[in-house]
Amino acid sequence: MARQGPVLRVKDLKKSFGPVTIIERFSLDVRAGEAVALTGRNGSGKSTLLRCIIGADRVDEGTVELNGIKMSETNPDIRRELATVIDDMDFFPDLSVVEHLDLLARAHGVADPETVVDEVLDEVQLVPQSGQLPGTLSSGQRRRLALATAFIRPRSLLILDEPEARLDVEGVAWLAGRLKAERQRGLAIVMASHEPTLVDAVATRTLRLGADAGE
Amino acid sequence: MSKRARKNAKAAGTPPPAPAVTEPVPVELPTEFYFPPDDPPIPVDERDLLAVMRDWRHGRATRTIMQVISDGYIAVLSLLVLGAMLAGALLRTQSLVAVCTTSSCLTARTLLPWVVLFAVFALTLSAAHLFGPVLASAAEGSWLMDAPIRRRRLLTKRLVLPLVLAFAVGLLLGVLVALLSGNDTASIAVWGGATGLGALGLMAFAAAAQAREARGAVRIARTSAAALTAVAGAAVVSVAAGWVHLSLAPDALLPVVAGVGVAGVALAVAGTMYATTHLGEIRRARLVSGGSLVSGMQGAAFALDLGLVRDILVDRESAERGHVKPVKGRGTGIAALVWRDVERLYRWPRALPGLALSLLVPYALDALGASVVNPLLSGLALIVVLVPFLGSLRVLTRTKGLARTLPFPTTTIRTAAMVVPAILAVVWGLAATPAFWGIGAAGQERTLADAVLVSMATALAGLMGAVRWVTAKPVDFNTPMLATGAGAMPPTLVFNLFRGLDMVVLICAPVLLGWGAGWSLGLVAVVFVFLRGTFDMDELKAQQEQAMREQQALKSEKDKIRVSRPRR
Repeated sequence: MARQGPVLRVKDLKKSFGPVTIIERFSLDVRAGEAVALTGRNGSGKSTLLRCIIGADRVDEGTVELNGIKMSETNPDIRRELATVIDDMDFFPDLSVVEHLDLLARAHGVADPETVVDEVLDEVQLVPQSGQLPGTLSSGQRRRLALATAFIRPRSLLILDEPEARLDVEGVAWLAGRLKAERQRGLAIVMASHEPTLVDAVATRTLRLGADAGE
Repeated sequence: MSKRARKNAKAAGTPPPAPAVTEPVPVELPTEFYFPPDDPPIPVDERDLLAVMRDWRHGRATRTIMQVISDGYIAVLSLLVLGAMLAGALLRTQSLVAVCTTSSCLTARTLLPWVVLFAVFALTLSAAHLFGPVLASAAEGSWLMDAPIRRRRLLTKRLVLPLVLAFAVGLLLGVLVALLSGNDTASIAVWGGATGLGALGLMAFAAAAQAREARGAVRIARTSAAALTAVAGAAVVSVAAGWVHLSLAPDALLPVVAGVGVAGVALAVAGTMYATTHLGEIRRARLVSGGSLVSGMQGAAFALDLGLVRDILVDRESAERGHVKPVKGRGTGIAALVWRDVERLYRWPRALPGLALSLLVPYALDALGASVVNPLLSGLALIVVLVPFLGSLRVLTRTKGLARTLPFPTTTIRTAAMVVPAILAVVWGLAATPAFWGIGAAGQERTLADAVLVSMATALAGLMGAVRWVTAKPVDFNTPMLATGAGAMPPTLVFNLFRGLDMVVLICAPVLLGWGAGWSLGLVAVVFVFLRGTFDMDELKAQQEQAMREQQALKSEKDKIRVSRPRR
């Protein structure tokens, strides 16, 4: 049965750092198959908003719900449905690329982890690096590995913070195509991006944050 | 194109080549992607995940455990050296305590384990507040905590380590001080047990508070324990000095001590039960934050770079605070730098109570009749409490970039960064003067004028020690090593261990030898000239190289002119 309500519901969210209010009464509904792009200048609060949505930062006021459940990063049901690629990924120095993805797939209870990991590794073009330790990867390869984490696991909402960062032109094109396909298959996406190619190809709605937003 | 290339091109009469322009080629979006089958997830056993990781890691280690220990020999050796010093100091203290026969001295001795008890509690809570106490590595946060697993099953073992450590350290320190205080075996057991179990209970309490996100409760408990430490310390000094008359039999308070131990056990049981059942509710950010802190400090600690360890803690504290109210600067030039330090002190006054508490040291030593070593030991204590006030100097030393942005010589900037701490040291010196004059049971030791000079010399020795500690360069492991019985060792390592302490010993030596404080103050002036960077070898070397480069450039310029000059 198709889900009726929004996948993500953000209501009257407020976040301040000391006396400086970064986000004021922000509300957003994202349904399955919808992709919302957050744009805006540096410091406009895109990353802070995403961190509040995923529960990494505490909100001062307001509520965030995922599939009708109050957002809590400690709730396994939430973690099962929420895939995130934000800029805080760290790696086990002694585990290879393929082992990292294998571990994540197993932790999510993916039925055939090896096949899934191999396919996704091929898609993100990291097969030659599959045996490498993370310390030897370039920043672009690390970004591809981070993106791969979102695609090997079950998910109903995908949150991305500047996913295009450090990707080459072909990489951005692949990402745009992939996210578009994800959206068309019914995934809800919220992403912050400065890349017009990505925003144009993927987003069904664009929200400009910050003082010059004009909305 | 470089300036030289442009010049050459111009000289050749050819226009510089235009930068290559490429037309943007529209990239076609791919359409074929892999999507995993929508199978329902299979149940996950967290221990299986850990077993898989263990399997992957099996046989991958590049070093044996002995090699790891051998790599850490620097830390081990230093611990041995410091341990030997500590043991020596304890033995000397025990011999001093053994001759303690007066009623006030005996009572003070009875109260001493209370100081340690509360200090251990405050330290336990500080460590728990700083690191978690339950923590996870950043990689675990990214790859395991992100999955819908039961975190409790992964974290249960992580709770055991801080509990065991708290108990062991508490027990050790409790037994040690009870032993030094001349207690009998039963009393030593009670003191050791109470200190260890109390620390265990507080660690469990901190873990429960972490699960409830009640960091404020730990902070309040920590402040209370620190305040009790100060009160107990003041009581010991007051009683020993004869300012307060109190007569306590050594065993008088033992039931209360045993009660503390029992309370510790109750707290440990309740806290551990609560924490264990709620471990899954600790936010990932909290878990990972402690893990990142530990991994950052581990490297610095292994290299014995205590300055870096402190930098990491200060950075972390600033990051947690996140935001401050901006305050307008005042003055221009160097005065603006000094004023900013005043503002910083107003904004972060937390170090001031430590400075005030350090005044207990000279008074305690005076009360115990240890007037000869008073300047030395008080100066050493002052180093510890003055370091937090030298934040500007530390930043200026750590990276030269900030100093380069300022239009003053490095020596002037460094001097400016010492102004506020120097004022604080002078105030400390004035406040400590009565202790050097002699107001304890031993009576007056020197004239008031001499006492002022000795007190000032002590305060400035502490300041110079702190400046030396803050400005010392980290150990350079790239320099040729010295062959020692314990293996190769960078020459600066040994000096780094004692950095700061050497300044206090040097400056206080004339007072200790009875030559008078004037000599000490003269040495302060000499040390200051060095520490402000007047003879910074790196800077002098850079200046020399710059001068050589300029000379070389001048020479080649002359050569060029000579060659191009037309002959008549």
